Amino acid sequence: MTTEPTGPTGSTDPTQSTKSTHSHRLGSVDWLSIALVLGGLLLVYYFAPLLSLFLSASPSEVLGRLGDATVRSAATTSLLSASITTVVATVFGLPLAYWLARAETPWKNAVLAVVVLPLVLPPTVGGVVLLTVFGPNTLLGGTAAAAGLPLTRSLAGVVLAQTFVASPFVVVTAKAAFESVDRTLEHASRSLGKSRWATARNVTLPLAGPGILAGVTLAFARAMGEFGATMMVAYYPRTMPVEIWVSFQSLGLDSAYPVAILLVVISVGALLVLNTVASNPWR
Amino acid sequence: MTLELSGLTNAYGEFAFGPVDLTVADEVLAVLGPSGSGKTTLLSLVAGIAEPDAGSIVLDGRELVGRPLEDRRVGMVFQEGALFPHMTARENVEYAATGEERVAELAATLELEDVLDRRPATLSGGERQRVALARTLAADPDILLLDEPLSSLDAPIRKRLRDELHDLFASLDIPVLYVTHDQRTATALGDRLAIVRDGELEQVGEPSAVLDRPASRFVARFTGTENLFDGTVAERTGSGDEEGVWVQVGDARFRTATPDISGSAASAVAVSESAGPGSSVTVCIHPSRVELEPLDASVDGGAEQANAVAGTVARWLNEGNEYRVDVEVEGGALTLTASVRPPTFERLGVDAGPALRVLVPPESIHLISESESR
Repeated sequence: MTTEPTGPTGSTDPTQSTKSTHSHRLGSVDWLSIALVLGGLLLVYYFAPLLSLFLSASPSEVLGRLGDATVRSAATTSLLSASITTVVATVFGLPLAYWLARAETPWKNAVLAVVVLPLVLPPTVGGVVLLTVFGPNTLLGGTAAAAGLPLTRSLAGVVLAQTFVASPFVVVTAKAAFESVDRTLEHASRSLGKSRWATARNVTLPLAGPGILAGVTLAFARAMGEFGATMMVAYYPRTMPVEIWVSFQSLGLDSAYPVAILLVVISVGALLVLNTVASNPWR
Repeated sequence: MTLELSGLTNAYGEFAFGPVDLTVADEVLAVLGPSGSGKTTLLSLVAGIAEPDAGSIVLDGRELVGRPLEDRRVGMVFQEGALFPHMTARENVEYAATGEERVAELAATLELEDVLDRRPATLSGGERQRVALARTLAADPDILLLDEPLSSLDAPIRKRLRDELHDLFASLDIPVLYVTHDQRTATALGDRLAIVRDGELEQVGEPSAVLDRPASRFVARFTGTENLFDGTVAERTGSGDEEGVWVQVGDARFRTATPDISGSAASAVAVSESAGPGSSVTVCIHPSRVELEPLDASVDGGAEQANAVAGTVARWLNEGNEYRVDVEVEGGALTLTASVRPPTFERLGVDAGPALRVLVPPESIHLISESESR
C-alpha cells in the first residue's frame, strides 16, 4: 500500500500516497472487519454451549446428583486417579523434560517425537496400544493380575491410561520452561561450588517453576477429562467422563448434565491456576 | 597461586582453539582479541563449562581437566552478570558466601549496601556487575575470570567501574584473567596482555611491550597502530647503542634506533640478525608517537637523523580526547596518522590546513619481519 515505491523519481508526495491508500480501500473488501467477525463467531461458538449447559440443569439438580453414590464414586475415582497420574507424570516427566531441554544430541528430536505421539494419537488407539502390553492376556498384565494388581478394570488401569495421554503435557511444557532458564545461570551456580542437584533445586527449578506448574496443571486437566483410552483399559472403576457416557447411554442426555457441569467447573479451576500461579512472575 | 595451561586445544565445529600454553601468576592478565577469536572459549575451558580435547589446566598444583565446575574453585564473572533473577542482591551474594560477615565485607568493598535488598531486574548495569563480582568473590575462588564485564555499560559508569576494578584486583592475591575486546580496558587493567587471534595466543607481554613492539601486523592493528607500511631495510649503521637501521618506505627513508625486529617470540633474535639490507619488513609507527610541528621550527640534529619530513593535512577527526590527523608526506605517496592533543592541534592551526613538519622519532619506529606480516 503506502510502502510501495512512489515512482521512478523517488517522490514522496503525501497526496499521492494518500490517494493510493484511499483507492485501495474502496476497490477491495475490508478484510479487518471480516477477520474480526470470524474470530468473534468462533468465540461465541466456544462460550454459548457452555452457558447453555449451565442453563440446562438447575443448581439444586446438580447438587442433588452430587449426593448420588455413582456420581460420588466417579468423582472420587477421577480426582484420585488424576492426582496419582499428575504425580507420576511429574516425577517421570521432569527428568525427561530437563534432558530434552539441555541435551545436545541428534537423538533429541526423535525422542521428542515419541513424547508427542500420545498427544496426536486418537485416545482409543492409545487404549488399544496399552492393552497389547497391559491386557489381561499379556505377560505383564497376566502376571500383575495374578499378583493381585490387575492393570485393567482397576484404578491402576485408569492411571496407566491417563498417564499415557496426559504426561506428554508435563514433558513438553516443562521442556520449554527449562529452556527458558539461561544455562549461564546454572554455570554460575556451579562455579560457585554448588552441585548439580543444589543448582537444580535453587536455580533451575524455581525459575522454571511457573512453566512446570503450567504443564502439571494441563496434565491434571487432561487426566480429569480422559475418556477414550480409559474406556478401553478400565471401564471400571468409572471416572467422571465414563460416568457421563454411561448416564447418557442408559438414562439420556439430561442425566449427564450434572457430572458434565462438575467437570466444566474443575476445568475452569485449572484454567485459573494457569492464569495466576502458573504464569511467570519474573517477566 | 598459579594457573598453568599447556597444550590446550578445543575444536568446536569450524572453530579450532589452541594449542595454548600460558602461565598466569598472581597478576591480571588481560586477554584481548576480536570477537570470535576464542577469548570466551579460554575462560570456558578454565571454568569447566567446556572440556578441552587435549592439554592440561593446572591451578595451584591441581589438575582441573576432568573436574566438574563445582570442584574447581574457579570464580567467573559473566558478561551480563548472570545474577539469579529470583533472588535479591543479598541472596545472590549469600548464595556463595561462607558467612554473614563476608557478605557485609564484600558489600562494603563494592559499595552495595544500598542495593542489597533489590532484585537484579531493578539494578543498573553497573550495580549488577558489582553484585556479580561480590557473589563470585564470596566463594573465595583460587582464580578470578571475567568475561567482558564492562562491555554492556555506558561510558562514564564503565570508566568508574574500571578504576574500581583496578584497585580491587590489586588487593587480590590470585590470578585474574580479564577478557575484553577493548584495548584501553586491557591496557588499563592488565599487568600483562595476551592477544588472541583465531584461537591462538599471538603475543603475550606487558602492555607497553605489546603496544610498542607488536609481534605482528595483527597485534599492531588491534592495539591501535594505524601506521603500517611495507618497507625494506636499506642499510645498517653504527654499532652497539649507536646502531641504527634505515628503512625505505616508498620514496621516504626512516631511521630506526632499535635494531630488534619482532617475529614470533622464539625467533626474534634470529630474524633481527638476518634482517640485513634488502629484507622486507613492516614498519609500524603508533599515531601517538608521531609529532607535528610548524614547518619553520628548527630540527635538532638535522632533518634526516630525526626523521623529519614536510607534509600537508589530508583530513582530521575530533575523537574527543584527541585529534586524529592524517598527514600526506612525500607528495601524497605516504599518509601518516598522528594523534594530537587539543592544545597542540590548536597551536598548529591544523584545521586551517597549513603545511607541517612531521617528526617520527627513530626509537618509536618498530619493525616487524615479513613472515609476521599477515
